[in-house]
Amino acid sequence: MAMTHKARILAAARKQAVDKLPFGARIDVWYNYHSSHGTLPEKYKGCNMVEILRDQGAGAQVRHLRIWRVEYDNLEVVIHEDPPHKTTEWRTPLGTVTMKTIFTPQEGPWIVYEVDHPFKTKEDYRVIEYILENTRIVADLDEYHQKERMAGEDGMVMTGMDLYSPMQAIMRYWIGYERFFYELHDNPAQVERLYELEKELAKQKLQILGDSPVEMPLLCANWSDEFHTPIFAKYFIPWLREASDYLHAKGKVTHVHADGEMRRLIPLFLETGIDVAEAWSPVPMTRVTTAELRKAWGDKVTIWGGIPAVLFEPQYSEEEFDAYVMNLFKEISPGYNFIVGMGDNLPFDGKIERVGRVAELIDKYGRLPLEV
Amino acid sequence: MVDYSAVQQAVIDGDDEKTVQLVKEALEQDLNPADIVASGLQAAMSIVGSKFSSGEFFVPEMLLAARAVTKALEVLRPRLLDPGTVTIGRVVIGTVAGDIHDIGKNLVSMFLQGAGFEVIDLGTDVSAQSFVAAVKEHNPDILGMSALLTTTMPGMQATIEALESAGIRRQVKVVVGGGPVTQHFADRIGADGYGADGGAAIELCRKLIKE
Repeated sequence: MAMTHKARILAAARKQAVDKLPFGARIDVWYNYHSSHGTLPEKYKGCNMVEILRDQGAGAQVRHLRIWRVEYDNLEVVIHEDPPHKTTEWRTPLGTVTMKTIFTPQEGPWIVYEVDHPFKTKEDYRVIEYILENTRIVADLDEYHQKERMAGEDGMVMTGMDLYSPMQAIMRYWIGYERFFYELHDNPAQVERLYELEKELAKQKLQILGDSPVEMPLLCANWSDEFHTPIFAKYFIPWLREASDYLHAKGKVTHVHADGEMRRLIPLFLETGIDVAEAWSPVPMTRVTTAELRKAWGDKVTIWGGIPAVLFEPQYSEEEFDAYVMNLFKEISPGYNFIVGMGDNLPFDGKIERVGRVAELIDKYGRLPLEV
Repeated sequence: MVDYSAVQQAVIDGDDEKTVQLVKEALEQDLNPADIVASGLQAAMSIVGSKFSSGEFFVPEMLLAARAVTKALEVLRPRLLDPGTVTIGRVVIGTVAGDIHDIGKNLVSMFLQGAGFEVIDLGTDVSAQSFVAAVKEHNPDILGMSALLTTTMPGMQATIEALESAGIRRQVKVVVGGGPVTQHFADRIGADGYGADGGAAIELCRKLIKE
């Protein structure tokens, strides 16, 4: 009996044998946009993403942010809704910090974007410390189970540590990238104190993940080598190694969402113990080819991705698309430890039929070992 | 006597306090403020930009160097006979309509300022008409547009078309960048240049200014 999409993806993630190249497609930007604008193709109106991908012959990625929720003690959280913006106030005995976010799923994105970060002055360190000290992580899997049922054997529910490992959370969420680097330079002790507190919360999340049915937890997302390389060894590798080791002991495989520029992170990645680099986005979206990445990582890391999002757009012809996919097969030959996917999403103006075309090319040429 | 290589080194080290101190000493020694800018600060940022492009430097080093230059310029500006001499060109920059991602745009903006450009930052979610209005108002040498979403990239083409409709396309060089943007895309929409990162953006703008 043929393997299911989910079984094939998980086997490749675990570096086990598979019959043909696994294909786990991600189309939520395209789907969110067209379902909001009423422009889904006629035959897909009323369908969910998994049903559309099943029709295209592809495995599915179903995004789910977290399997836990945050609860606070000894502080008040006040939320002001002004769609598409939301302002969150954390009112503590030591002061108040605020964050403004924007959420526009009708245009594609599935997560909020931080417009204004909680950290604004040095006085905010103590307030954010207080918030983190008074935060509890509580398991909350109801929605995950719904999505798991939706994905079934057609694919994977992609979830894990929220999106960010501890230092990434401080950079991306609490302080913001640019200010973060000034602060790490000017006030390293305070930044490291936040890091330690975030790590303690991350350990609570890890425990929930370890005890959950999630097979392949996400440990971090959205790196770019020009930002992360200088601090990766000190603040990312130790935590990612600890988290991977913990989850491996629980029978899990781990992954990160690696859709950014990776060149200078490639050698460092091998020290993290992470099993899968998902959303791999090669040239022309980044400066690294899949062949280079395969050469650097060998069979140590399973790569998930390989087809840049822009290739699905009309600016590339059908012939160019086919040629890119066939060249990808050559680059990854003999094809083990690889899951075909897009880096990182089908664009809103991408051609859904090309998802089906990838599935056709895999059926025709993707038996392992690859012989293209 | 302060020599410019010391000023350059302080900038390269991202040491804002030392940079400002050396600039103050240079002024006390009656060195020409315009020379301090050109031979000290801008020369340093050129080195920093090259180190970034070659992979030796990363974003943190660029940010700290740009901050040192910005602080030094605050000291120098009142002493310059023509404050315009601190700029090597004017850039209007923004993230295109529908897109609120600003990290890449902010970095390029800071790097450009550090390198000696005057930057007018229009922020995020900037419509084609707002770009056109800013070009008319500020008469920049370069218009820079950023997008992180494939959904918003068409805003770059719409802006170029709006510049053409307004009859001002030829008076400004248009450069584009951002996560999903490629040289292929830049060529297709008729942009004058594509910058893959902040370092490349500086070099690109310098090159376009000389054309």
